[in-house]
Amino acid sequence: MRTRYLPVWFGTAVSVCIGGLLVGTATAAEAEPAGRAGDAKTPTSTGQTDIDRLLDAIDVGPYEVPKLDLQKDDNYARSSADVEPFRHVTPFKEHFLEQMEYTGPGRAIPEPEDLDAVKIGFIGPIMSTVSVATGGKSHEESLGIAMLRGALLAVEQANERGGYLKRGLPFGMVISNDNGLWGASGNEIIKMAYKDKVWAILGTIDGANSHIAIRVALKAEVIMMNSGDTDPTFIETNIPWVARCIGDDRQMGYMLVDYLFRKMKYTRVGIIRASNRYGRFGVREILDGARRMGHPIILEMAYQVGGEDYSLQLERLQESNLEAMVHWGDAVDGALILNQMRARGMNQPYFVCDRCVSDEFLQIAGKNAEGVIGGYPWDPTRKDPQLGAFREVFEARFGAEADTYAAHGYDGMNMLLWAVQTAGLNRAKIRDVIAHRPTPFKGVTGLIPLSACLDDLGEVFFAKAENGEFNYYSRKDWEVPQGVIHPRDRVSRKTAPVD
Amino acid sequence: MRSRSRRKRITVIAALGLAAGWSLAAKASDRVKGGALATGKADATARPVAQTAQTPELPYVYTKWEQFTTKDGLPNDHIFAVKADGDRVWIGTEDGLARLDKKTRRIKYWKEEDGLPWQVVAAIDVHPGTGDVWLGLFGGGLARFSGGRFDHWHQLNSGLVNDVVYGVAVENDNVWAATTAGASRYNTVTGEWSIFTEKNAPMEEIWNYGVCAADGFVFLGVWGSGVLEYDIERGTWKDYLDPDGEMEIDLYRDDGIVHVITTGVSFVEKTLWASTYFGASRYDGRHWRGYFDHDSGLPSNFSNAVQGRGANEAWFATDKGLGALMDFPTDTWVTYTTDHKTHKGKALVQRGSEVIAEFETAPNIPHNYVLWVDCDGDDVWVGTSKGLGHAIGEGYYPGLKVADRVTMGPRADERTTGRRAIP
Repeated sequence: MRTRYLPVWFGTAVSVCIGGLLVGTATAAEAEPAGRAGDAKTPTSTGQTDIDRLLDAIDVGPYEVPKLDLQKDDNYARSSADVEPFRHVTPFKEHFLEQMEYTGPGRAIPEPEDLDAVKIGFIGPIMSTVSVATGGKSHEESLGIAMLRGALLAVEQANERGGYLKRGLPFGMVISNDNGLWGASGNEIIKMAYKDKVWAILGTIDGANSHIAIRVALKAEVIMMNSGDTDPTFIETNIPWVARCIGDDRQMGYMLVDYLFRKMKYTRVGIIRASNRYGRFGVREILDGARRMGHPIILEMAYQVGGEDYSLQLERLQESNLEAMVHWGDAVDGALILNQMRARGMNQPYFVCDRCVSDEFLQIAGKNAEGVIGGYPWDPTRKDPQLGAFREVFEARFGAEADTYAAHGYDGMNMLLWAVQTAGLNRAKIRDVIAHRPTPFKGVTGLIPLSACLDDLGEVFFAKAENGEFNYYSRKDWEVPQGVIHPRDRVSRKTAPVD
Repeated sequence: MRSRSRRKRITVIAALGLAAGWSLAAKASDRVKGGALATGKADATARPVAQTAQTPELPYVYTKWEQFTTKDGLPNDHIFAVKADGDRVWIGTEDGLARLDKKTRRIKYWKEEDGLPWQVVAAIDVHPGTGDVWLGLFGGGLARFSGGRFDHWHQLNSGLVNDVVYGVAVENDNVWAATTAGASRYNTVTGEWSIFTEKNAPMEEIWNYGVCAADGFVFLGVWGSGVLEYDIERGTWKDYLDPDGEMEIDLYRDDGIVHVITTGVSFVEKTLWASTYFGASRYDGRHWRGYFDHDSGLPSNFSNAVQGRGANEAWFATDKGLGALMDFPTDTWVTYTTDHKTHKGKALVQRGSEVIAEFETAPNIPHNYVLWVDCDGDDVWVGTSKGLGHAIGEGYYPGLKVADRVTMGPRADERTTGRRAIP
């Protein structure tokens, strides 16, 4: 469903009403952050000399392809050798190790003259709808609204600092709902690209809608920054117009696999997951990793999102004599499943995905939550003045705590705003500075180093429920071992790795 | 409807000499006026840079090209689709539909204000019986252009499953649309719509990208789901997926389609050609063959589209040039690129990854970011992100010929051609 174009004017009150839902009402002056992420005015964010060189390099005509150093990774997604697919065979071709180029004529398109605002697109699940893609019931609005708030705050702060500095224009947001019906996100991106003429887009959360959106972004040639979809395959598409600023389920899956099988040495692990794309793709690395490490998942059961009775799945899992259980799905489902497990006398350790690392989960699970361990894409308790300032301003602005979707939405939008300030109003150049930024972006969620396929390779963490709250731990904190990560691509390794 | 006189530019006319190191080529500034061909002077070389005794036979190399841009009357230079239709060529751009009349060399175009339902035309096919032109509109649904009128179907007034249409194909009385949320089939006689998604077809994902229909089959190129084959008579589906099932590797080159992120399909002479963003594939019903940029003449693994001309010849639209597998049995390729800085074009002849000849010419394709290709008899039409290219196939021959019998490019009496032999 189409929403509206909302210019977020500098120094004026902003009211974002989406389908009757008041997302936030405040004056820009109320939202004064003490610290700012990735600000073009912040010289420490990246080396200015390198940026100047980059800008010189991409200042080319329509027929030239700039000579840019293409990032080459030695290893895809920092995968240890024993969880690589078909590890005993040298593959004919390995993908995603070398950065994709944009070779089209877009860099030569001049900045338009007649603008009254610099529009940035936002697409996310912000209105309740019927959802086919996510299992029949719309359920991601709380995530999408948090993401929108984070993005909105970033835009407001940029406008407080003068908007688009080169021309003194305010930034505006074109906000669209990602209503979960497959294909709707594609229509929205097209309208944003061709009619609203946005310069970059932030979104979205659902894996299916994200895939649809990036296919459109590729054809329309506008960069899409993702801050909320942890589907590993999102970035595995060879599209040079896509980047992600949040750790994905591959990274969190690898970490959980290492904990389950290397540290705890479990041999009988089961999975219960949502019967949607999030659940299906979220557990893939755990399934594959477990099998490749010699401990295949004993049983995987799927459930319909939004149900309340999981006895069918739990009965079978209970009969499987499991040592541990992994859940991949939303917080409410995860908590209800845990409660029903415990009620059945299933006392296995319970491992969850990052969506379950939430207050909602703790509230529903109650004392059953104690000891639950999840993967998490960042450490929200990190001592960082920038993060502290963000939390403070966010709470003042929206009357709510900033969660992971808000923080990553804030970072993702700030990355785009930085790119626009740096590259100017040219979509291809905005893409270039994101893709070829010499140093990792320093966001409130931490450093965001991008891989060759522009995925966030920042550190991911464990979250453990202890005394009614989640505490966060690194691999190092828990001394979780990791397999050998070859510093060399698979095709050119002399020998295939062995156990 | 708008019309503008064509100002055709012959920008590449290369000739290949009998001996290595000499040739004739037209100056890029030698424009064709009023439909006549300009003759060129020998100001550029078409030179082989490598020859081997093992390469006595060569494929046809297109040395005569035309380029069309907005200066020639196109509504927009970003060309997503091209469809040759007898004496006409339909051109789908990012902002309008255009028609080139081959005889008069005039271009007409239609934009939204002229009745085109949506500005971005991403796919075109023509009904051979009625002459109706079917348009896949990128975000605007499906349209029929007939008798000067546009009829419009979209997801709110028809059985079109989604408005983001990437591909369109006419199959008998049916029109197929490959959309971002499944495929739709419209029976133009009965008005019946059919929708194909994961509910009734083996689509692991429903993000359809390309579609073609030929010889009793419809093929769908599906992003994330490889290629699907629909048997029209039986109404049954068959899927072709990457056997290794992994996104980050291709375990064996020839074990199946190289990747499931499929962008285009073409079925001709019972041979399936598929393009992906990870390489390309050929399937003859029994054997698969994969192609990558490091082991073939494919200019880049990022292929936007493919057009098969036969079982042994296919053209690939990539982000780094136009690649043509000209002879499958010998794995002989010709790739075309243009360096607009030096104003020179290049045709590279390769056998597998080995370069056997390199020819320097005047510009060939208008831009190296190629989005579409359509074979038209002996000619080839190329949609790029900066204009339309027309490769003129005078003397075209399929496969290879013994070098001393090879004629490449225009006739010698036009001073723009020659004969060359590679020993």
